[in-house]
Amino acid sequence: MGPYSEAEDDELTAELGTAMRAAAEVPAGFVAAAKAAFAWRNVDAELAALSYDSATEPALAGTRAERATLRALTFVASRLTIELEATESGLVGQVVPQQPGEVELQQPGGGKRTVTIDELGWFAFRAPAPHGMCRLRVRTADGTSVLTEWMTL
Amino acid sequence: MIATVRDDPSVVELVERARDGDQGAWGRIVERYAPLVWAVCRRFGLSRADAEDVGASVWVRLVEKLETIKEPAALPGWLRTTTLNECRYLLRTKKRQVPVDDPEYFEDGTGPPSDEWLLAQERQVALRTAFAVLSQPCRRLLSMLFADPPTPYARISKELDMAVGSIGPTRGRCLEELRSHPELAALQEPPSARMDR
Repeated sequence: MGPYSEAEDDELTAELGTAMRAAAEVPAGFVAAAKAAFAWRNVDAELAALSYDSATEPALAGTRAERATLRALTFVASRLTIELEATESGLVGQVVPQQPGEVELQQPGGGKRTVTIDELGWFAFRAPAPHGMCRLRVRTADGTSVLTEWMTL
Repeated sequence: MIATVRDDPSVVELVERARDGDQGAWGRIVERYAPLVWAVCRRFGLSRADAEDVGASVWVRLVEKLETIKEPAALPGWLRTTTLNECRYLLRTKKRQVPVDDPEYFEDGTGPPSDEWLLAQERQVALRTAFAVLSQPCRRLLSMLFADPPTPYARISKELDMAVGSIGPTRGRCLEELRSHPELAALQEPPSARMDR
């Protein structure tokens, strides 16, 4: 006999059953969607990290409802910074230092929208206001390509 | 016991391969940890649709994280925290002003998944990984034994053409092989912990 008692073998068998049933319980669609998420892998752009999010700052004043209508976020990459403001009417942003280009809004649900960035670095995604999980891919006129981290609006 | 030829890469290898664009390795990572993400959602009592929304957010974040992940062993903890945050966010936006940490949000009323819970989940991952690379006869026998309710020995004996008396010893050998899997062996409790339980 091995070093383990029958009781220990019984216990391990039961534990194995629990582990296998827990996996069997996960819907196939849940796993399939998770596998499909790999398509969102970033292969070439520099990642702009979230450096400020008003939603995670402690509330100094105002109610939750007020904070929900306006959210400010900042993403930083080596050559540029992206400042964002989300309101109920849309997502407005500025690229600093100011420069023209274009910006694509990506959402895991599949949606992609592109708008131009003006000479002052401004851009806006109007109605429908972006909602849920998204990220921005910024391409400036000088060829800089930056991808923000995912954010949830 | 005859060694089985197995393709059984570690999490570190899977993360490295996925980082290099290997979709198959990504699929293996998902298969390992989808039950953990799902279990956190279930603990929050989320509907299937809500759990799918949360899952979508968690996995795209992990794809992003792949590039910078330094310690793949920390992956389960990162997944728990990220899933928890996404669940809370979803509940907050759905049911404004309701304190989400209220125990009633947790199906079993026990509160957010603890470190102990996470360790149990990691052990389940290791058990499934070790089970998947067992020999086919072992997997078949153990499946019949851990079925709920367990398959009667008489039926196992008939279906697997095995004497009733050798079911126990064969199980012992299969479980020994299971315990020797590096991932599971790494999680084995020290004997003192076993005594104290």
